[in-house]
Amino acid sequence: MSFGFASPWWLLLAAGALLPWLRSGQPTADYSSATMIPEDRLSAALDRGLRAFASLALLALAAGVARPYALEQWEERLGTGAHIVLLMDRSSSMNENFSGRYLGGTSGESKNAVARRLLADFVQRRSDDLFAMVGFSAAPRYVMPLTQDREAVLAAIDSIGDRGHGITNIAPGLAMALDFFNGKPVTGARIVLLVSDGATRIEDESQDLLRQWFQDNQARLHWIYLRSKNSAALGRAPTGSSENASSEYLLHQYFQSLGVPYTAYEAENPQAVEDAIADVERLANQPLRYFEKIPKQDLSGVFYALALTLLFPLLAAKSLEVRRW
Amino acid sequence: MIPEFHYRVRWRASGAHPGRHASHQTGGGYEFAGHVPLATFPDPRNIDAHATLNDPFGQLMVKTFRQRSAIPVFVLADLSASMNFAGKPQMLAELAAAAAYSAYRSGDPFGLIVCGEAIRWDLSLPLRWHKGGLPSDTAESLAKIRPSSRNASALGEAIPHLGRGKALVLLVSDFHLDDSFLEILLDALRPHDVVPVAVWSPAEYESLPDWGLIHLRDPETGRQRRLFMRPSLKLRFRETFRARRERLIELAARHGAREPFFLEGRFDAEALTRYFYET
Repeated sequence: MSFGFASPWWLLLAAGALLPWLRSGQPTADYSSATMIPEDRLSAALDRGLRAFASLALLALAAGVARPYALEQWEERLGTGAHIVLLMDRSSSMNENFSGRYLGGTSGESKNAVARRLLADFVQRRSDDLFAMVGFSAAPRYVMPLTQDREAVLAAIDSIGDRGHGITNIAPGLAMALDFFNGKPVTGARIVLLVSDGATRIEDESQDLLRQWFQDNQARLHWIYLRSKNSAALGRAPTGSSENASSEYLLHQYFQSLGVPYTAYEAENPQAVEDAIADVERLANQPLRYFEKIPKQDLSGVFYALALTLLFPLLAAKSLEVRRW
Repeated sequence: MIPEFHYRVRWRASGAHPGRHASHQTGGGYEFAGHVPLATFPDPRNIDAHATLNDPFGQLMVKTFRQRSAIPVFVLADLSASMNFAGKPQMLAELAAAAAYSAYRSGDPFGLIVCGEAIRWDLSLPLRWHKGGLPSDTAESLAKIRPSSRNASALGEAIPHLGRGKALVLLVSDFHLDDSFLEILLDALRPHDVVPVAVWSPAEYESLPDWGLIHLRDPETGRQRRLFMRPSLKLRFRETFRARRERLIELAARHGAREPFFLEGRFDAEALTRYFYET
């Protein structure tokens, strides 16, 4: 703890704390002879006590007038609830199922529907967390800011809908997801949960910017990569020279270079998606130690209260004074 | 009306001036002193036939008598600041007026010496027959006085002004004095008949509040004490004053003064008369 005074010159008033030791504050009555006054230790102690009270009260008042404050400080806290931004791919490829088809009797659930169902379950289970939702395809779509309202989050997940369209453009989506953390206190783990089935290349400038924002916001990234049979694997380096074919691999490489905790899950079927989400849940359960900034606090009220409590006995003593008899 | 008290001394006055008190002086009176030859005391009115016939030498014998004489009466007042307490100056003024008036009524000369750090001659009176008691201007200024001296050291200086003859000295003070100073003073006053008159006020010990905070200041030393009054402390005040009273009686007895007379709260002339006839 460190202290400061807004107007320290008023502390000169503290010299007034000497006054009670020089004068008692009670008018004197002339008495014939001091030698005839019997010694009384209780009276002497009471006299000293009252002087000390008056002195301390004056000190407290002087300190209060000088407006003391505690400087802003960082305090270590243990976060419980996570802040999770669901970054959901709603490009047209999400309409397909894991085998790459999107029509016909054997098509089953689309990737989109699987992701929504499992995410909804995930949201249901996590009652302590705050969720936000961003959909993206060619451009990001602002769906829902960070909220604790389950109904709203479930509705937002539902609103992604079956009918995806457009391409997968990750960078603006990530930027918007990170934007939700801006200006919010860090009270728990910050997680960007990216659910997508493909990737595009991110320009170099955007890469640097995103890396900076990830580090500023201390956010973690989990990428659930819904891989179709004919999509590229994350871990396999491209063999050809085509950049388009290896964009997932390059994105994976880039995410690893972000400097924040990052996990990628390759999910090739609904069961794998469920496992991936369970794993994310486990990671999100880890308590977060974080530092919170406590702003500068005005402490003068404390000193005024102290002065008041010290002045009450003095008032009582004043009412006990006898001046004539 | 000025209160009056009667005083009596147990010694013979030496002064020639006729008065009320038994005296060594031979003269007109009723107290038979002895027979002397007419040649020694040529007063043929008092020739005693019986003594003349009995005288082996056949001389004419004369009866002699002792006259009654006046004695000087002094009031020696302490005017230190401690006397400026609840009604003490008033008691002092009343006592001085009563003493002057009583001296006038007894035909005795009266003197008043008021002492602070120095003798206050402006308030004092020389030894005279003051007709009708205390002069009114002295009485007025005494009633108005606010004692503020830091001590009463001039009491010692006043002793030469009491004269050579034995005098009745009313030493008026509250006797909140150093014991050593008091002993020296009483020793110096031994040639005289000293009546210590202790002027005390009940406000000093009897009528203090039972409860409360009081802040006392000694006007002579400037010392201050804040006291939390409660019945037990008040009892200790009374105890202190009772002990002081015994100490004063003991000091007076040891240093040749009469037993102190205590004026508590008000001046009572009859009590003073009783005091003179009892001691």
